[in-house]
Amino acid sequence: MRSDRHILLTLFPVYSVIVGLFLSGLMMLFLGQNPLIVYRDILVFAFRDIYNIADIFAKAVPLIFTGLAFGFAYRASLFNIGAQGQFYMGCLASVSCSLYLSFLPKPLLLSICLLSSLIIGGLWGSLIGYAKARFNANEFLLSLMSTYVAIAIMNFLIRGPLIEAKGEYPQTDVIAQSAWIPLLIPHTRMHMGLILALLVAAAVYFILWKTTLGYKIRAVGMNRNAARFAGIDEKKIFVSVFFISGAFAGLAGFTEVNGIQHMLVQGFNPMIGTEGIGIAILGNTHPFGIVMSALLFGALKVGGALAVQVSNISSSFLGIMEGFVMLSVIISYFVRQRIMSMLEKRRLQEESKVKAL
Amino acid sequence: MIIEGLLARTIQMSTPLIIGALAEVLVERTGVMNIAIEGIFLLGAWASFIGTYYTGSHLIGLVAAVAIGVFAGLCYGYVTVNLKQHQIVTGTAINILAVGLALYFYRVLFGVPLIPLTVEPLSMLNIPLLSGIPVIGEVLFRQNVLTYLAFALIFVLYWLLFKTKAGLVIRSTGANPEAVDAAGINVDSVRFKAVLCSSALCGLAGAFYSIGFLGLFTEDIIGGRGWIAFAICFLGNWNPIGAAIGGLIFGFADAVSIVIQTSGFKLIPNEFVIAIPYILTIVATISRKEFRVPEYLGIPYIKEGGR
Repeated sequence: MRSDRHILLTLFPVYSVIVGLFLSGLMMLFLGQNPLIVYRDILVFAFRDIYNIADIFAKAVPLIFTGLAFGFAYRASLFNIGAQGQFYMGCLASVSCSLYLSFLPKPLLLSICLLSSLIIGGLWGSLIGYAKARFNANEFLLSLMSTYVAIAIMNFLIRGPLIEAKGEYPQTDVIAQSAWIPLLIPHTRMHMGLILALLVAAAVYFILWKTTLGYKIRAVGMNRNAARFAGIDEKKIFVSVFFISGAFAGLAGFTEVNGIQHMLVQGFNPMIGTEGIGIAILGNTHPFGIVMSALLFGALKVGGALAVQVSNISSSFLGIMEGFVMLSVIISYFVRQRIMSMLEKRRLQEESKVKAL
Repeated sequence: MIIEGLLARTIQMSTPLIIGALAEVLVERTGVMNIAIEGIFLLGAWASFIGTYYTGSHLIGLVAAVAIGVFAGLCYGYVTVNLKQHQIVTGTAINILAVGLALYFYRVLFGVPLIPLTVEPLSMLNIPLLSGIPVIGEVLFRQNVLTYLAFALIFVLYWLLFKTKAGLVIRSTGANPEAVDAAGINVDSVRFKAVLCSSALCGLAGAFYSIGFLGLFTEDIIGGRGWIAFAICFLGNWNPIGAAIGGLIFGFADAVSIVIQTSGFKLIPNEFVIAIPYILTIVATISRKEFRVPEYLGIPYIKEGGR
């Protein structure tokens, strides 16, 4: 019976998603829309045909990566708010390799793109970790500001050296076919990047719960002072966590550029870092939860983008829905804490009764 | 000429940063970080634009900015102070929600206009006599009402924090909430009120960007300026005077970046000129050695034996 309760409690984020959607629905009513019709449209469109279903997975891939980027650092009580910038650095690395090394055979070219985006994203992130370790700088502020610097670098490169041959718009040329990530299902947008994302999510689980590094990371996350007394070098942890976290966000750049866009457009996907934070929180910063929430956000995006075309509701309503879902998830954590402490109290009382008898 | 223009621009651009940083100092002294600051800046800019656009009155625009700031503060304060949930996480949620709300209602009201809609920006108030002083008059006394407010606020907050009993309570709430509680003062209530005040001020700071300066609203109008105000509070060591100095330095960086962009100076690419304030924040965050962080910053107060 107690395990039943446990399952009910771990499903809490699911309830809060429903509450969040309910709140957004109230808001639609207030705006003269029928939420039932809008939600029906979203569902119908998201699962209309194989193309759309595949698109849910395609949209979820980068979100899994940025969600993992935030969630992984969060496990060490570190805040990597700069996934957006690390993502752009990954995009730049990947598109540069794709453009300049297009003569290489496909497997080699793709591995170079993958590695370069991983390393550049990771290095960009580890600068933050280094500054924290060396100068005790606040990683929250630094990661935040590093995004704006990354945007400046991206804008400069894309209007300068990387600009398309026509030189008209701030975007690169389309990369050669040899640099495209192969599709999983032909004639859709679902590509092999999905497998990469799932592998990385599994790797996060493995690193965090099955290796010494993961043990150290979680120790630093739970109690930094205790970890220091236990002989863990927290400075090394800062740098490595930020490298890994940044590398994840960089990989999102690889899958977006080589898997979906096949070019780099200035300032695309501007919310992917912030959405990653929402997804990580919704998924309780657990890799499995993150994958699930990314799929949910993917479905909302695919269904929502089409649903807003048939109704006169604006596409920016999706942002409101995401915000409401996130807020209700946070409040649900409060409710869960309350219920857990209530159950604990009752259990203790029962135990003391048994002892008294 | 150029120097005067640059200095006047500095004072102008430092206005919202100073208001935002002071608001953050006030709330962080009680132990709560207002992470929703960027979102509240945006909401303030948005609400004041709409208010002014429909009524033609700047006053109503400013009132709307304060009102929406208080509303956002209610949500943020309730979740972080009363429900004791994580401040960074809650703030991020509110920031996402703020972007969604502002964008959505802008489009509902105006569609996607080809030419951005504009309102008359707040007029410059010339202070009689003082504005006639050469250089100083031009720089300091020909500004809009928000600028004067920002500079008055520096001294008001300093006086409030360090010269009044209320200030003592505010500072103790961040440094030693248990003592405040033992003195019979409700810690959560102090924090909640501080969140509301700071959010109201952040709404005003946001209004500066829409109706105080450009006279229009775009989705990227704030562009991280709220975060810079947040950083200034840290860099100014949670002191109103420090926050004011920081605000002026960053205002100067903003002004330099605007002047370089509009001049023919082409040595540094524009993209990096725009990034000057952000790079400056990074440099300052790394090089600042001594922080006197309020002891209980970011930690919710849970009464012992309570629940």
